[in-house]
Amino acid sequence: MGVTCVYSYPVPDGKSGQAVVEILQRQIELLGALRSGHFCVDCDTFQSILQTSINVQPKTVYILHNSEQPASCFAITDTSLCLTADTLFDGLMHQLKNYYQQRKNAKMEAKGQRYELGDFILKVGSASLAGSFKGIIVEVEYCPCMVAVDCWGLMKELLQSVVGSVADQPPPILKNRQDELYSPSITVSQYLDIFNNFRKLSATNQIGR
Amino acid sequence: METESKLKSTLDQIEHINQAIRHTQRLRTHVCQIFRDIGDGLGEAAKSEEEQQAQERQKVLLGSLRSSLETVGHDIGELDKVGQTLVPVSPSANCDHVSLDPILDRTPLYSQVNTSYKRTNKMHEFASLAANILSQNALKRSPHQHPAGGKRVKRHMNTASMVPQAVVDQLVATLDRQHQDMRITVSRPLGSCAVMQMVLGRVLKAQVVLRGLVIEWVKVKGINEEFSTENGKVDIWSKSRYEVFQKISDHAAAAMLHYYAPFMPDIGIRSFTLWLQGYSNLFSAPCHKCGKYLQNAMPPTWRDLRNRDPYHDGCRQ
Repeated sequence: MGVTCVYSYPVPDGKSGQAVVEILQRQIELLGALRSGHFCVDCDTFQSILQTSINVQPKTVYILHNSEQPASCFAITDTSLCLTADTLFDGLMHQLKNYYQQRKNAKMEAKGQRYELGDFILKVGSASLAGSFKGIIVEVEYCPCMVAVDCWGLMKELLQSVVGSVADQPPPILKNRQDELYSPSITVSQYLDIFNNFRKLSATNQIGR
Repeated sequence: METESKLKSTLDQIEHINQAIRHTQRLRTHVCQIFRDIGDGLGEAAKSEEEQQAQERQKVLLGSLRSSLETVGHDIGELDKVGQTLVPVSPSANCDHVSLDPILDRTPLYSQVNTSYKRTNKMHEFASLAANILSQNALKRSPHQHPAGGKRVKRHMNTASMVPQAVVDQLVATLDRQHQDMRITVSRPLGSCAVMQMVLGRVLKAQVVLRGLVIEWVKVKGINEEFSTENGKVDIWSKSRYEVFQKISDHAAAAMLHYYAPFMPDIGIRSFTLWLQGYSNLFSAPCHKCGKYLQNAMPPTWRDLRNRDPYHDGCRQ
């Protein structure tokens, strides 16, 4: 558990997502990283159904799981408040179905290969919304360091050898919290940010059609 | 030339000895003859033969006896003469035998003996010269060591490791005050030996086991790792799960030996602490030599022992 940067890697026109993932994987293997299984981050969306007035937007709670913390469950509200709890929290959410209801076909998942390189953990995978491919996710974690501002230099050096200019700046979520002690909730927040971007993108695409 | 004359004189000597032996033999035969003649005597002849014949025979006998005695006298004289020329054999008989060796010219013994003698001479000369020079420049291993100080050195080392606990506590408190970004606490889970826990900013934790004021053991771990076992005891053995801190542990052990100063034990701890503080920029400083952050997926893990400049393990001189 150390500083983690999560990026969405753009898929160039005329290439399939799978091909780009393979290119990235080969690049990571060339660095000398060793495969160490798979990773999975999933995100469910719950919406409040009780509305005090018509003008107020329904409140949303995102429930995320990260395979890196298999015994934990992360709940993030609209206001990006994050609650870290045991996986039992899932059951509690289902008990609250009179107040919060799971949105249908809104489950997002990021799945892919996990690599280890010294004290780094690298992950490359594809993000999907309800089973359809949305984009590529690259995650790099540097385990020994707990403060993002300290290790950004060396993170950038490694990231740029994998994803190039995509990693010129730290991820926006991380940028705001660079100086605090890192916690896994920041990683999950980054994932949620990317998932929400994918959702918006697909929504605009649908409108555009 | 020398050998030739020697050989000649030896040959002469042998000739003399031969002569002497011959003379002795002749002398013996003549003396035997005389005794035989006298032994034969006149007795029976005088009885059986005529008086005249007997007188003749007596004359002959006396004549031959006289001549025999004369030759004996002559022989003795000659033997005497030869005996005077004989010299007693010298005690270095073997050397003479060597020079008598008929294949003398073909044996290189003499030249060999000569060269080895020269070599021995030269070696002796050089050895005495070297001894002279060495006695002028005595090899001193350390500036503190002097011939009469052997006992003192031992006493100093003892005092470095046998320091009252209060002194150690005081030193740790001073160090804690001196280094703003370092939190140093001390505990004694192993009896009188102090265990220093150092927390350097938000970068690393270090555990230093002291014996008196001598650093005995150093381990470095990440800021999110613990130096205690599950049941709350101090754990000085386990290593960090991160490669970076395993490497730094190794470097710290090397630095601990480098800063070891039995004569001024507190200086050793002070300089080690100062050196360890150099790791406060472990993740944020690029290598001083190659200017990069990463080498083999490791940040610059080495800090120069003098100026604390960061270097990769592969970049340090």
